[in-house]
Amino acid sequence: MTAPRDGFIAGIGASAVAVAQEVGGIVLLTAAVARALVPPRIDGRELWKSLYKMGNRSVPIVVLTALFAGGLMTLQAGPFVKKFGATALAGWGAGYAVLRELGPILIGLMFSGRVGANNTAELSTMTVTEQLDGLRALAIDPVQFLVVPRVIAMMTTLVALTAIGDLVALIGAAIVGRVMLGIEWSTMYHGFVDNLRPFDFLHGIYKAIAFGGAIAVSSCYFGVTVRGGAVGVGRAVNHAVVAAAISILLLDFFLTYLTG
Amino acid sequence: MAAEPHSIPHRVTGWVQQRIEAVGAALLAGSAAVRELWLVYIATWAGVARRASRRRVPQGRQGRPGQARGAIVHQLYWIGNRSIVFIAVTLGFLGMVMAYEACLQLSRVTGDFSQVGSQLLRLDVSDFAPTLTALMLATRVGAGIAAEIGSMKVTEQIDALRMSGVLPIDYLIVPRFIASLIMTLALTVLGGVVMYAAGGLTAKYSFGVNPHVFFDASMVRGRHVALLIVKAAAYGAAIPVVAGFCGLRARGSSEGVGWATTAAVIGGSFAVLVLDFLLSAAALVVFGGDL
Repeated sequence: MTAPRDGFIAGIGASAVAVAQEVGGIVLLTAAVARALVPPRIDGRELWKSLYKMGNRSVPIVVLTALFAGGLMTLQAGPFVKKFGATALAGWGAGYAVLRELGPILIGLMFSGRVGANNTAELSTMTVTEQLDGLRALAIDPVQFLVVPRVIAMMTTLVALTAIGDLVALIGAAIVGRVMLGIEWSTMYHGFVDNLRPFDFLHGIYKAIAFGGAIAVSSCYFGVTVRGGAVGVGRAVNHAVVAAAISILLLDFFLTYLTG
Repeated sequence: MAAEPHSIPHRVTGWVQQRIEAVGAALLAGSAAVRELWLVYIATWAGVARRASRRRVPQGRQGRPGQARGAIVHQLYWIGNRSIVFIAVTLGFLGMVMAYEACLQLSRVTGDFSQVGSQLLRLDVSDFAPTLTALMLATRVGAGIAAEIGSMKVTEQIDALRMSGVLPIDYLIVPRFIASLIMTLALTVLGGVVMYAAGGLTAKYSFGVNPHVFFDASMVRGRHVALLIVKAAAYGAAIPVVAGFCGLRARGSSEGVGWATTAAVIGGSFAVLVLDFLLSAAALVVFGGDL
């Protein structure tokens, strides 16, 4: 990945080629996953294990993140509340920002750090210890056996975690509003209920589906294509989280822009 | 354990006890990790002080063990220059989304776009630019540092450093710490500019907001800029220390490096969120409605 030192233009070209290779690899892996799903034969035990490991075990970090995210958004509305006494505005602004943008993005980034990076570490360790070749020798398709359950599990669990996180973030917003700004619980509640529509919540949820798919495919790609021992594993995890962060923000923009 | 085994089935009490033990174990491990992290942070500042005092030796005894030559410049390049494209792309898209959502809400309620640019700039400077840049850096730089130091740990290079009388924190974390302090601020400024410019373009082409109205710095005060600098410094200090700490704790082989990298990303992002919350709350208490 290091650019050759002999020229600026050559460096740009080399990194463009590297990026194109990675994007192409991720797209091919997505196609392979889709093809493996056509007669849906999913390894139930692997799926169940992934669902537990990715979902249940991520609840604490998602809850903590969401509490802080909700609180932060209320803090940002704080100056208006203090200056103009616009207490209804705090619930509206915080709820809107959390449900549509900040909740899915922050929870997605945390999910990518915890679950996606972990998945890359696990798969790349399997790859460098040649366990994937072992599977192939037994005529088991690694994509079918390892990647497909993880993709499904990540999409499912990220949606569930976003739904939990949205609720917790609204609670966090209400707590910070009460403690820091002295907004009554009922004012905050009406701020949420009167101004937020079900579609705002759904907007975050279908973003979470897309983010889950992107995190899953990119983390699996970097796990399967790793080379070299411990150094390679570290680098693969690094690349996976960077790719996940970029794809989350790209998808977020396009989903917001296309669906309004 | 002895709590009425006849009235409550034994399985249930055992299960409850297991849960409580699990929570307690997690809390103990968490507090121990925080204490160790604090020690690493102190040791890093001590290393910075040692480095600064050593510079004043007139003979310039550089290149002695514990002070790799040009380490800071190398880290500045690696943390700063190599992150420029990543920061510009991610914060550019974030800026577009934020301007789009803000205009969308306003068009539903009032349709008055005269304030949107100046308010967004105030929020960008006092919160979004430093925090989002740092979240992105926690992913990219934090994972990179943890992967590098973690692989050195599991291949016993850290032990080799200690054997040669070099403090691993001075040699590995201090250059990254200094470079990150500088480069987080620089990248925050870059990210903020890109974010605001991208937001202005979105507002113009999606909602027809005049750029002269959007690009309006009248809401930004000195205290917002001060908040930006304080936040960027806090995040820049936290990210390499958390990542280096996670790397130094790596154990085992390649799997341990993977774990360390994961922990660095989570720990770094979470540290950024907590610091943001504390600093924003403090600023709100200090400045009140004038923030």
